[in-house]
Amino acid sequence: MEKLLVKKNELAGIAEKIAGETNLYAPVKDEDNVLFTLLKGTKCELEGYKNTKNAPKGFFFPRSETLMRYKRTDKGMELADVVNESGPAVLFGVRPCDARSFALLDMLFDQESYRDPYYIDKRNNTTVVALACVHPPYSTCFCTSVGGSPASTDGVDVMLTDLGDAYLAEFLTDKGAKLAKYFGSVKADAASDTKKSELAASAAKEIKSAVPAKEIKKFLDENFEHPFWETLHKKCLACGTCTFLCPTCHCFDIQDEVKDADGKRLRNWDSCMFPLFTKETSGHNPRPSQKERWRQRVMHKFRYYVDNFNAIACVGCGRCVMYCPVNMDIRKIVEDISKL
Amino acid sequence: MQNPYVPIPVEVSKIITEVDTKDIKTFRLSFINKADEENFKYLPGQFAELSVFGKGESPIGIASSPTQKGYIEFTVQKAGQVTTFLHEMEEGTHMGVRGPLGNSWPIEFLEGKNIVVVGGGFAFTTLRSLINYMIHGDNRKRFGDITVIYGARTPGLLIYKDELEEWGKRKDLNLNVTVDKADSTWKGREGFVPTVCKEVAPSSDNAVAVICGPPIMIRFTLPVFFDLKFSKENILTSLEMRMKCGIGKCGRCNVGSKYVCKDGPVFSLAELDKLTKEY
Repeated sequence: MEKLLVKKNELAGIAEKIAGETNLYAPVKDEDNVLFTLLKGTKCELEGYKNTKNAPKGFFFPRSETLMRYKRTDKGMELADVVNESGPAVLFGVRPCDARSFALLDMLFDQESYRDPYYIDKRNNTTVVALACVHPPYSTCFCTSVGGSPASTDGVDVMLTDLGDAYLAEFLTDKGAKLAKYFGSVKADAASDTKKSELAASAAKEIKSAVPAKEIKKFLDENFEHPFWETLHKKCLACGTCTFLCPTCHCFDIQDEVKDADGKRLRNWDSCMFPLFTKETSGHNPRPSQKERWRQRVMHKFRYYVDNFNAIACVGCGRCVMYCPVNMDIRKIVEDISKL
Repeated sequence: MQNPYVPIPVEVSKIITEVDTKDIKTFRLSFINKADEENFKYLPGQFAELSVFGKGESPIGIASSPTQKGYIEFTVQKAGQVTTFLHEMEEGTHMGVRGPLGNSWPIEFLEGKNIVVVGGGFAFTTLRSLINYMIHGDNRKRFGDITVIYGARTPGLLIYKDELEEWGKRKDLNLNVTVDKADSTWKGREGFVPTVCKEVAPSSDNAVAVICGPPIMIRFTLPVFFDLKFSKENILTSLEMRMKCGIGKCGRCNVGSKYVCKDGPVFSLAELDKLTKEY
């Protein structure tokens, strides 16, 4: 594995250089938000960058994605075109929690039984350059409770660590190694490795939120019915912000859109928080109230995903905690469950 | 990589109106490309997404048996947007099918056993597939006695009437058709399915019961089979849920950690007992 050192003031230039040759998305300030944005002759400014408002899952699993196009014919319909738009891209400055979400989503979309070509093609075409958190950016960060860490390399192709006087660039995969040519030729020494390990350890210690996310599995296994589920959801507005911002939420709807003789089939993000999500044509809804929907959300993340893939479907980024309009806090929910 | 979201092009080659209320029809679909027909390998109990232009898809159990070559059949009740569109189609229409999806009735497990098939109303479609599969000349010897108990609310609501008549003539199939409420034309049995099950009283000895029907029928039929000493491992049913992708990704049809579309729709009662009570 190649390891290089880059001067602090050179990193933005490297991103801009890559951006000149391929589609590179980096965090860009947009009014009050920081969002992954295509760099096209614009400056890359990572100074003071914490994390983006939206999770970058949308690069592999877009909010709305055309799967195929149809044509109306005299006889009914005929498939016109299977759409799978994907080209080489670089995601630059992804935080380790978000990069980990890619590894978690791979488990589902790249599952042996049914592989999802739309997701997989984009994943294969995209190189993830992550930026380790030497100081956890938010008080709501809790990656270390759910299997991650501020320096986790899950889902990462190139890992950047701010060593103070320079960035350490580690090229972890073949895909990542192809970017090494942009990062100069200063080989990292053993001291940088030691420094990196120290920073990773101190960053993990700085994380104040610790929740027993793994420990609640047993309770969830045994308590699908429990008075706790009656108390949890009452203030929820069912707005879906939590699932929208969540890096690992991946539920989707499939819809058709038609204009004249042309139609397309799309998949759009959906949310287990919405009443229509499970409502059947007959009117029957197996999850009739927000109680069942919240139970599903907690169960899916902390029990079902663990059963199916041996991983918690949460990366501890804290977005759902920060942006819930009624201050629902998944950390508190986990904490409360652990005390039952 | 095969794209599991792309439907296979088919032509509607025959439409049969099954019931006197005209809201349940059977659609026979023929593959437009010969290669697709050969690749569409399925077993009774599986389902497929019926795909129509501009409306979307609807998951429907396959009503034909793989022993019927050259086409597949689906029996559909008119209910939502897609199924209403299907009901308005004419023969010759081109549409799509995505599948086969899901597991199937566990044929290997059923082999060598006596099979009791219990169906209610319109939930008889994949059971019909199973019956036609088992009584086919190539397969009949692989199964023991076959008992079928099938009921509908009225004689006019029984589906597959021609086949019921043919099955009734067979010596290797014990057919019991019943209606909740008879009319002046009905010469057969009258009574609810659970009651008829009690009267027929199939032996649980080396037997498996395969039961599909409306929830109220299931609720009253299961105790009859428990009384007959059928174990939960030997009672099978098929679940339904709202679905979209059909391949365990879109996240809505789960019961506990299992997806009805991918891990089901067929489950034994013993398996269902282990899942969360959310269906």
